[in-house]
Amino acid sequence: MADLELRGIRKTYGTAVPTHALRGIDLTIKAGEYLGVIGRSGSGKSTLLNIVGTLDRPTAGSMLFEGRDLVALDDDALAAYRNRTLGFIFQFHYLLPEFNALENVLLPSRIFQGRLNPAVAKRGRELIERVGVGPRMYNRANNLSGGEQQRIAIARALINNPRIILADEPTGNLDAETGESVKDLLREINRESGTTFILVTHDRHIAAGCDRVVEIEDGLVKRDLRVENFDDDEAWAELAPCNCRELGRTPVRTPVPKRR
Amino acid sequence: MFHLTVAFRFLKEGRTQTVLILVGITLGIAVQVFLNALIIDLQRSLVEDTVGRAPHITASMPDFMPEPSLDREAGTPVLVRVVTNEGNVKPIRDWTPVIAQLEKLGVFKSISPVARGSGFILQGEKSLPIVLQGFDPARADRLYDIRSRMTAGRYELGGNGVLIGTELAAKLRVGVGSSLRITTPGGAADLFPVNGIFDLESQPVNEGWVIISLARAQSLFGLDGGLTEIELQVPDVFSAARWAADLRRGFPGLRWLSWQETNARLLAALQGQGSSSYIIQLFVLLSVTLAIASVLAISVVQRSRQIGILKALGMRTRQVGRVFIIQGAALGFAGSLLGSLAGWGLIELFVSLQKANRAESLTDIPVGWGSIAVSVIVATAAGTLAAFVPARRAARLNPIEVIRNG
Repeated sequence: MADLELRGIRKTYGTAVPTHALRGIDLTIKAGEYLGVIGRSGSGKSTLLNIVGTLDRPTAGSMLFEGRDLVALDDDALAAYRNRTLGFIFQFHYLLPEFNALENVLLPSRIFQGRLNPAVAKRGRELIERVGVGPRMYNRANNLSGGEQQRIAIARALINNPRIILADEPTGNLDAETGESVKDLLREINRESGTTFILVTHDRHIAAGCDRVVEIEDGLVKRDLRVENFDDDEAWAELAPCNCRELGRTPVRTPVPKRR
Repeated sequence: MFHLTVAFRFLKEGRTQTVLILVGITLGIAVQVFLNALIIDLQRSLVEDTVGRAPHITASMPDFMPEPSLDREAGTPVLVRVVTNEGNVKPIRDWTPVIAQLEKLGVFKSISPVARGSGFILQGEKSLPIVLQGFDPARADRLYDIRSRMTAGRYELGGNGVLIGTELAAKLRVGVGSSLRITTPGGAADLFPVNGIFDLESQPVNEGWVIISLARAQSLFGLDGGLTEIELQVPDVFSAARWAADLRRGFPGLRWLSWQETNARLLAALQGQGSSSYIIQLFVLLSVTLAIASVLAISVVQRSRQIGILKALGMRTRQVGRVFIIQGAALGFAGSLLGSLAGWGLIELFVSLQKANRAESLTDIPVGWGSIAVSVIVATAAGTLAAFVPARRAARLNPIEVIRNG
């Protein structure tokens, strides 16, 4: 099982006036899990995602992937790990404007293999069809709409058949309708391929659609909910009020988005 | 492999910047190539004018200085008899085997035995100092190219027959067939018929030289069949000093002097030109390097987002650095290649303009393919070097910075 295991992960910034972004996170993420990470700004959720994504190193603690401690690896080994095991979806899409949509999708494979492999190119085209941008795959990245760019970014995250996909506010920069369809697409891919998803979001609609939701507060895991066991209303009741409770109000019932 | 694709894509997409920097490098290198060719041509013609038709190496006997007969204390007045060099010159004897050996080496363009001495032409009350050049006609012609530069008479030596220069002929108001009365410091005097008149394009030569057969000169100066000098030409004038050193080892009994040793001022001038050309090239190269470095430094800032993504997607630090190193090398290479072509075009243009005006000089500046190759290699290396600092910055870029700040 491709479990990802975090043990006592700490991250402290600065030495003179240390800021403790993470204060000991223990988390085991099962293969194929669709995990949402929520928390207010400054809670440490982005730091956690950077550490899980090996873009940042923890100050203390260990992170095991299939029994291998990632913290002990050097930069080049981590680059290879990111390239082959992880898929990244960022809030700001981050396609390279110098390349067209298809070339962007093929980037991780070219970084991995150097040359362009025809089988991979075919897979790239299929992935673009799959995310619904087929007719525009030869367009320059900056000639695509925001939704199309995010779909291309999703196809790019999938090209190397990653075990884990990390998504940072994947719908944060999209309008509601487009965001909804991207959210559904991610869920479909998770179901089809069994890829583990870790989504950092402050969108509680997305969180409610996850199998499991981890809430981070002050650098610690505050709650770890198995949303999949709840029905829609219960899930919403658990998640929606987070901000409101602290204000001493009763949760406002908003219409529950249907889970497909 | 992939970093190559990224490097060229970055260059292609940063079109304006790439074109501007390429134009800059092209201009710099074009000027460099053009100036270099001009200076080389100038040097060549200067050397050609000065030593092209002159001996490159001259052999003579070492100066003979008798030992003082008594030990004297310093400051003691001594009676010294000053004599002209004439009677004192020791001739080179047994020179035929020396010439044969030099010939066997097969490297000299010409080898000319010379019996040389001063004399006076007496005309009425006047006496004109001249230099009598005892030449072997065929060998001397190979060195001085006299036959083709005769303006009157024949290139013929024998008996008392002499050849004189145009200016001397004009001064004496004589022509072919006239006879000159010449005396030597040794006391010999005779009548010498003028066989021909030459113009060796040098005022002192045309005014001062009287060419005579080797055998007659030997007898006039009492050399007893010996020579005063052996004159040599080598194919590459600049190798003369090296050959002279070799000959000094091979024939230690003779004094060998190269034109570089007797013409120190010319050599200094040539070296001055050479080093000024190097300084120009150095500065062109320096500005090319700095231009590439600054353009790449800007490029790194502009593309920090892309660099961050590529690193997040698994591109290794070294590969990221290489993306920029390749760009530097490519700019240096392409710019210097274009610059060399442009420089060559400039030379052609210059030559055709010169031809249109007047035919003199610079008619065919050699396009130094070797120096162009050196320019390209050096500029490519400089571009690569220039890329190091920006490449290091790019490689050190932290992807989180980019991703966090959107």
